[in-house]
Amino acid sequence: MKNKSAIKLENVHKSYYLSNGEEIPVLKGIDLEIKVGEFVALMGESGGGKTTLLNIIGGLHPLTSGSYFLEGENIGNVKDDFTLAYIRNKKMGFIFQQFNLFSRLSALKNISLPALYAGASREEREAKAMELMRSVGIEERAGHKPTELSGGQQQRVSICRALMNEPDIILADEPTGALDSKSGLEIMKIFTDLKKKGKTIIMVTHTAEVARYADRVIYLRDGKVTDHNYKLTSNY
Amino acid sequence: MAFESLLGNKTRTLLSMLGIIIGVSTVIAVVGIGKGAEQSVNEQFQGLSANSLMIMSNRSRESTGSSNLKASDAAVIKEKAVHISEATAAVRGSATVASGKTSASASILGIDASYFKVANYVLGKGEPLSEDNIVNKDKVVILGNNAVETLYEEGEEPVGQTITIKGKSYEVVGVLAEVGQSFGPMSPDDSIFIPYTTAGASILGNDSMVMISLTVDDVANVELATEEVTEILREEHKLKSGQEDDFRLMDAGSMVGAAQESAELMTTLLTAVAAIVLLVSGIGIMNVMFVTVAERTKEIGISKAIGAKQFDILSQFLLESVALSTIGGLFGIGAGQIALYIINKTELILVTNTTTGPLIGFCFSVAVGIFFGFYPAFKASRLDPVDALRSE
Repeated sequence: MKNKSAIKLENVHKSYYLSNGEEIPVLKGIDLEIKVGEFVALMGESGGGKTTLLNIIGGLHPLTSGSYFLEGENIGNVKDDFTLAYIRNKKMGFIFQQFNLFSRLSALKNISLPALYAGASREEREAKAMELMRSVGIEERAGHKPTELSGGQQQRVSICRALMNEPDIILADEPTGALDSKSGLEIMKIFTDLKKKGKTIIMVTHTAEVARYADRVIYLRDGKVTDHNYKLTSNY
Repeated sequence: MAFESLLGNKTRTLLSMLGIIIGVSTVIAVVGIGKGAEQSVNEQFQGLSANSLMIMSNRSRESTGSSNLKASDAAVIKEKAVHISEATAAVRGSATVASGKTSASASILGIDASYFKVANYVLGKGEPLSEDNIVNKDKVVILGNNAVETLYEEGEEPVGQTITIKGKSYEVVGVLAEVGQSFGPMSPDDSIFIPYTTAGASILGNDSMVMISLTVDDVANVELATEEVTEILREEHKLKSGQEDDFRLMDAGSMVGAAQESAELMTTLLTAVAAIVLLVSGIGIMNVMFVTVAERTKEIGISKAIGAKQFDILSQFLLESVALSTIGGLFGIGAGQIALYIINKTELILVTNTTTGPLIGFCFSVAVGIFFGFYPAFKASRLDPVDALRSE
């Protein structure tokens, strides 16, 4: 099953529209394919559209035009809230650079949230959350709020949240960007474990060291894929 | 989650509840005052029966003292009117009355033996005036409730005592039970009653007024009876067509009805005011919810990113605004009940505890929460997740 397609984009365009109607194109014809179980890094200059591409893949944004095949199914023009919410909740797990945790909730509650939106019971949610926390080694911090956790711990909470509904695809936007190198290494180790478990991982990064953990690097420039298998030089 | 966010900022929560609390407590107080007024009307008019009629002189003639209304008109009416079962006359005037310790100016009614029966007055103590009293022109008197309080100290037994009316001695043979408000200008509680034969120009003076009380045979015939009596009196007084009546005919039923209507109108008006207050407080809630949504834009973005549907966001914020308004409503009900209690204590006006008030107030508060919370919640649910995540 390794050769099955997870994400396939064909001629995808994405533009933003200003209030005066002016169109600002960000993605200008993206073609790419990511197979199930691949660990792919997205690189490129800032403003090149990496995050926008990730957001499109994650269903946070609808495309302006083009085709998007998710696990073989064309969901390209999906714009209805219900389907988008489903994709975000069950198909994808999103990990942000700034963690984006709810500061008023404990780690346990933060992690349980995606299951709450999926309709799971409290026992189910909390049991699963604890299991996930154990797998990344933060189970003693279950009752703590994000402000009481270190950066590395917060990101681990974030990862657990992303894994809550057992999605097949993990999306990460500069996951180690806000962390010191030691915490960053711990996070990348977790990612490596996830890949071993068969998850498809798409990660935006601008650091070569982090990109090296990936199977391959897709390079974006000016809204287009310029290289599907970019070779990292040791100069970085 | 809604409750957690409400508790998170207690000051703001309380302030935004303030409008609802005031609005709902106003509704409670208003309904209590209104119902109290209606109850007052009922109590006050309890002594009357719907089939009583009263005739007095026309107002303008009253002041000149040239009324044609005579005590004997009562007998005429009783004889000629088909629908009148009882008729009695009374002559009213005033004079100085003294009990030995106090003296006061009192309203005096010279009545016949059937007066109390027709007017539905009940004796508290003693004996009523008899036919013999009337025929013999006895110097006996029955005191109204307030008159007793004025002339005698508490605990003193008035029956059997002597009072002087314009210098002449009268024996107190009875005391009238408290009547409350009656129609007509003077309350019977403030009056004293003597046989009309005993009352003459010497006692009552030239300002004496004649009052005739009639009992209609059936409540349904009140209108008919009114027409009949008017005709008879006009004939008796030899009034030509085109000439105004030289008397006034009043019936209890319509007066009670009118008083009740105005009490109900007052309740309605006050409730409208309270409703406006609630409406304004609803705008306050809407504002607070807009601010809350703006503050939590990023959180909304995160929620959507991890799979919250628009409906999830909408219901979360709507729940919050409804919780806000409902809890405020409950506080308001409490405050309103306290307000009613305080008003009752001051005894300025009668207020009653009602179930309608709290019910209306509660329903209003829930409705306000739903109605005014909806738009901010709706806007929140429609936020674009990427834009929302970008905000600080």
